[in-house]
Amino acid sequence: MKCRTIFKEIIFMIGKMSSSFLVALLCTFSTAVFAAKPHHITIALSNISEAISWYEEHLDCQAIPGRDDTVNCGNTEIEFFLGRTVGGSQGTGVDRIGFSVADLDAKMAELESVGVRGSGVRLVRFDDGALVREIPGLYKTAFITDPWGTKIELVQDEDLLGFHHIQLNSVDPSEALNFYSQVFGGERARLKGVLDGVTFDGIWVLASEYTDGRPGITQGRTIDHIGFEVASFDEVSMEMSTLGVEFRQEPAVPDNARSSSRQAFILGPDGVTISIVEPGWEGIEEELAVAEAQSTELYVIPRTPWGEPDIQGIWTADAAHGIPLQRGIDVAGTDELTPEEAAARRERGTLNSIWGYDREWRDTTLGYVTSAPSTQVAMVVDPPNGQLPETTAAYKELVANAPARIPPQRARTPEDLGTYVRCITRGPVGMMMPSIYNNGLQILQSPGNVAIQKEMIHETRVISTEPREGFGDGLKTWLGDSHGRWEGDTLVVEVKNLNGRTSYLGSSAEMKLTQRFTRTGPNTLRYEFTVEDPAVWTEPWTGMFNFIKDDNQIELVEYACHEGNYGMTNTLSAARTIDAREAEESEYQE
Amino acid sequence: MFFKIKPTVTRLNLFLIALLAGASAISQEIGDFQPEEAWDGNPDINGIWQAIGTAHWDLQDHEASAGLPEMGAIGSVPPGQGVVVGGEIPYQDWALEKKQENWAGRPTADPETKCYLPGVPRATYLPYPFQILQGTDKIMIVYGFAEANRTIHMNVENPEAPPLDTWMGRSYGNWEGNTLVVEAQGFLGEAWFDRAGNFASSALRVTERYTPISPDALLYEATIEDPTVFTRPWQIRMPLYRRLEPNARVVEYKCVEFSEEILYGHLMKKEE
Repeated sequence: MKCRTIFKEIIFMIGKMSSSFLVALLCTFSTAVFAAKPHHITIALSNISEAISWYEEHLDCQAIPGRDDTVNCGNTEIEFFLGRTVGGSQGTGVDRIGFSVADLDAKMAELESVGVRGSGVRLVRFDDGALVREIPGLYKTAFITDPWGTKIELVQDEDLLGFHHIQLNSVDPSEALNFYSQVFGGERARLKGVLDGVTFDGIWVLASEYTDGRPGITQGRTIDHIGFEVASFDEVSMEMSTLGVEFRQEPAVPDNARSSSRQAFILGPDGVTISIVEPGWEGIEEELAVAEAQSTELYVIPRTPWGEPDIQGIWTADAAHGIPLQRGIDVAGTDELTPEEAAARRERGTLNSIWGYDREWRDTTLGYVTSAPSTQVAMVVDPPNGQLPETTAAYKELVANAPARIPPQRARTPEDLGTYVRCITRGPVGMMMPSIYNNGLQILQSPGNVAIQKEMIHETRVISTEPREGFGDGLKTWLGDSHGRWEGDTLVVEVKNLNGRTSYLGSSAEMKLTQRFTRTGPNTLRYEFTVEDPAVWTEPWTGMFNFIKDDNQIELVEYACHEGNYGMTNTLSAARTIDAREAEESEYQE
Repeated sequence: MFFKIKPTVTRLNLFLIALLAGASAISQEIGDFQPEEAWDGNPDINGIWQAIGTAHWDLQDHEASAGLPEMGAIGSVPPGQGVVVGGEIPYQDWALEKKQENWAGRPTADPETKCYLPGVPRATYLPYPFQILQGTDKIMIVYGFAEANRTIHMNVENPEAPPLDTWMGRSYGNWEGNTLVVEAQGFLGEAWFDRAGNFASSALRVTERYTPISPDALLYEATIEDPTVFTRPWQIRMPLYRRLEPNARVVEYKCVEFSEEILYGHLMKKEE
């Protein structure tokens, strides 16, 4: 601390450059001089309430009354905000955060038994397949990723349970640690006498050397920034000026702040955004996205210059992701979910489909999705009870006698894996359905024609809206021959000449599909589909959901599904490996 | 003047202007035909079109040659006249070697056998019809093969560079008189130009010109620029013909299943 006072004087005497050099040199291992400490970690993600439950359930953090976007994890807060991210934390200036538990083996066993489907957590295995590794002289360690891509290290350090450390990536770890020590007054020390770091009242800031160029900037990734609490901005400014660091955002009380504490932002070493707050900081009240208000005025559908209803644009089924086809028992008496219920439903739908896909595949967890989740309870609107009609006796018999499905790990040929996995098609009904990714739909019109392009797999249908001769009986295709017409402002499409090689929930080659597209608002396209298939269902049924305008896109990103179908190669090669292993075992037994 | 001069394509323009100025054949082909107008006053090129010829086999002059012996004459390669202006594709030395490698390995190496997206300009002269739709601020071209598709963004000032490389690239277009000029780039560099193994890299930039020359034909010209593969820009030129059948359609050609033996045959368990 004396060192610091001395150099404050020197700053004014000999200027910034040389003093910073001297301070760095002489004060490297000085002790903390003023009260600063890590205060919060800010994580950007797609659903705050799900994140709070997740951190409560799996990392023993506590919700904070009156603050619906923050949890307290012992000695540090984790603050969440709704935001798009371009990827997880790994490889950025803040690679991960660490939590310490009393019994790491038990913790990992618990996470494994809950399973990915139940929790959305991803467990990382070491090279030898183990989940936990003992680092001699240090502690046991394990790695997981939260459902939104935040890398988390779990350690068993009895000396410090709960929030444990912030792990930086740095091109020069020693210099980075000096920065945190100097600006925020932490003590340069060795964790367990082994790991070089900075300690702040027990919480460690550690740094690994990053050798692959420069670490990614944190802003825009899941760990968007880290926060330090300081007693006085003056102290920090002084230290910053010795290092030539400037405020990116000057200290101020933000609009919507919950307290009168000020906040500032700086850019630390290695692209780390750092928030600095005064004591009493309680975060910012997020403005909740309000769903498009239902206009009472009659919506007038725009016309193309040649006079047809204009349904062109880039649309997305993201909002509809999570709507079940049939009405569930739990919503028997409900007409509509609340927005919170809808958000939770979509998020769970996404977490449930986490098993096969890294986070970077899932548009909803990445926070790209800007449309509010649909509050619709079920897609089926007819029959009005939201349930599919009774199936026919003939169909029931067909199902009873159907050969068992071959599981992927036994697939002999691509055919065993289905036309979706083969990147051929999800079929005429399935192709429109919402999914965890690739929900885009582009519609383009020319006089008398509507082209409908689907992002998933990449399929385009050109639909003539004028009466014309269709395909002959001898020509059948996967998506069939689409006959379109305008009924008022609704595009009605009858799909014929289907080859019947795909099935939606058992639909047969005799299925007749009618689709209706109606623009019901500037940003809403209502899509209805009616399935008539007397061989399977005793009466026709109709489903409905909305596509929402997506002005963030100027075109659909080409999904070269087949061209990049590594999944096919990997699945078949795994199946052949299993075959070979079994052959070897049976030989051994003989 | 054939091109609106933009700084980024000046070199190309000068080359083309020089090339075209000397080619009186061009003006004869284009003639003074005045096409029907679309709703916006530009030429109406809506419709279903198809290249006729053997460019999909080889952009250059080529003799008849053997193909798949088990298919007899059907499997052979028909002879054809080239569509490369001047006849020569100006490969750099290394690239010519690579082209010859492609040729030797074509039965399995050609992205077309693998049912991969054909890229530009190859999609245009595959031996199948394609449909042009003129929308309000975009033009879409829908090809049957591999369900390829292009969106051409019209009249975009200061277009953003393609954010990522794709098989079909990013296309920006505008009308210059009766000619639709499309600049396409942002390619992955894995597509070929034909079944003879002609190719480019991800530095490829294609400037296409679609000019109506009769009610039922467009002149298609594509200038190929790729400084990593070629020593200079070069051009292909061919007519595209309207499909006149009243019920002509672009029929979806999902070819994945026909490529699986080549791609995954070694991983399949065949029933004996």
